[in-house]
Amino acid sequence: MEIKIMKNILDRNQNKAEEVRSLLKARKIMMINIISSPGAGKTTLLERTCEAMSGEVRIGVIEGDVTTDRDAQRLKKYNIPIVAINTEGGCHLDSHSISKAIEHIDLNAIDLLFVENVGNLICPSQFDLGETFKLAVVSTAEGDDKPAKYPMLFSEARAVILNKTDLIPYTNFNMDSFTADIVAINPRITIIKASAMNGEGLEEWFRWLRVQIEMFSAA
Amino acid sequence: MKCLRDSCCQGFVEEIAMHELRIAEDLVAMVAGYAAEAGLTQLDRINVSFGQYIQIVPDLFIAAFIEASKETVAAGAELDFEIIPAELRCLGCGSGYKPEGELSACSICGSEEIALIHGKELFVKSIEGE
Repeated sequence: MEIKIMKNILDRNQNKAEEVRSLLKARKIMMINIISSPGAGKTTLLERTCEAMSGEVRIGVIEGDVTTDRDAQRLKKYNIPIVAINTEGGCHLDSHSISKAIEHIDLNAIDLLFVENVGNLICPSQFDLGETFKLAVVSTAEGDDKPAKYPMLFSEARAVILNKTDLIPYTNFNMDSFTADIVAINPRITIIKASAMNGEGLEEWFRWLRVQIEMFSAA
Repeated sequence: MKCLRDSCCQGFVEEIAMHELRIAEDLVAMVAGYAAEAGLTQLDRINVSFGQYIQIVPDLFIAAFIEASKETVAAGAELDFEIIPAELRCLGCGSGYKPEGELSACSICGSEEIALIHGKELFVKSIEGE
């Protein structure tokens, strides 16, 4: 006997993501899903962002880590709400784990929630977490071909931070081909060039983030 | 089996591809629900459609499915894959087109403002069993 189903396997994740999205919207919390390769600088970027902006916006962080809680430990000094999700080998976060993590955060105490996804350019881009938007982080040391090789993430991200611009002189990174590849995939994406290590370009990131917060509050 | 995916799992996963495993678990949960509803006690075949851009490696998915379906109604069922080719719609001139490989600009007017119509599906079409 054959039974017709025609249902998306990812519906379960999608439905939960929509629940998370409407909960956060009702609480006026903007959620950013940060996706990058391991070592691109997500945690350092969050450190700089907490230092620069925790006086003006109340930040919370959900840290996805495969086996340790080292990233969460690094952010403890900012005295912000942090929930660590250890995925036990899992290569991405899903909306169910975010929904559970949110239960551990006082939603009255935050306006901006960063989710640091597991370091990986493929799987996380397929799982909607209920975020307001996705932010891609790429470092120059990874090479300029990442947008062309992993188009799905760049087609969905609202912005990409090109990190570690201070290392460009030591790499064969080609800015023109990096930019051309990204724009071909997503002409509306914002590209921000920065070095979270020496601070170069970070002001542009903070400015852009403030605009997103304003737009979110006004919507 | 080692995860064969470039830039996935980072070698933490030695036995099975974690990405495929999580999706296979959702697949098994879904088909088990439908099988129970229809009174099926053993599934022989599960027919699935994957979009071209869904980034699932069929061999890894089969291995993950075998693991996820152990001791369930889906254990031993054959997986039949159909790949749905990507289809894009140009937001400039409105025409629909099928890209050769990667996401590409409109083949009619050259606009880069495009929307993905097909290519990210991950459907269970039907189940067969008794």
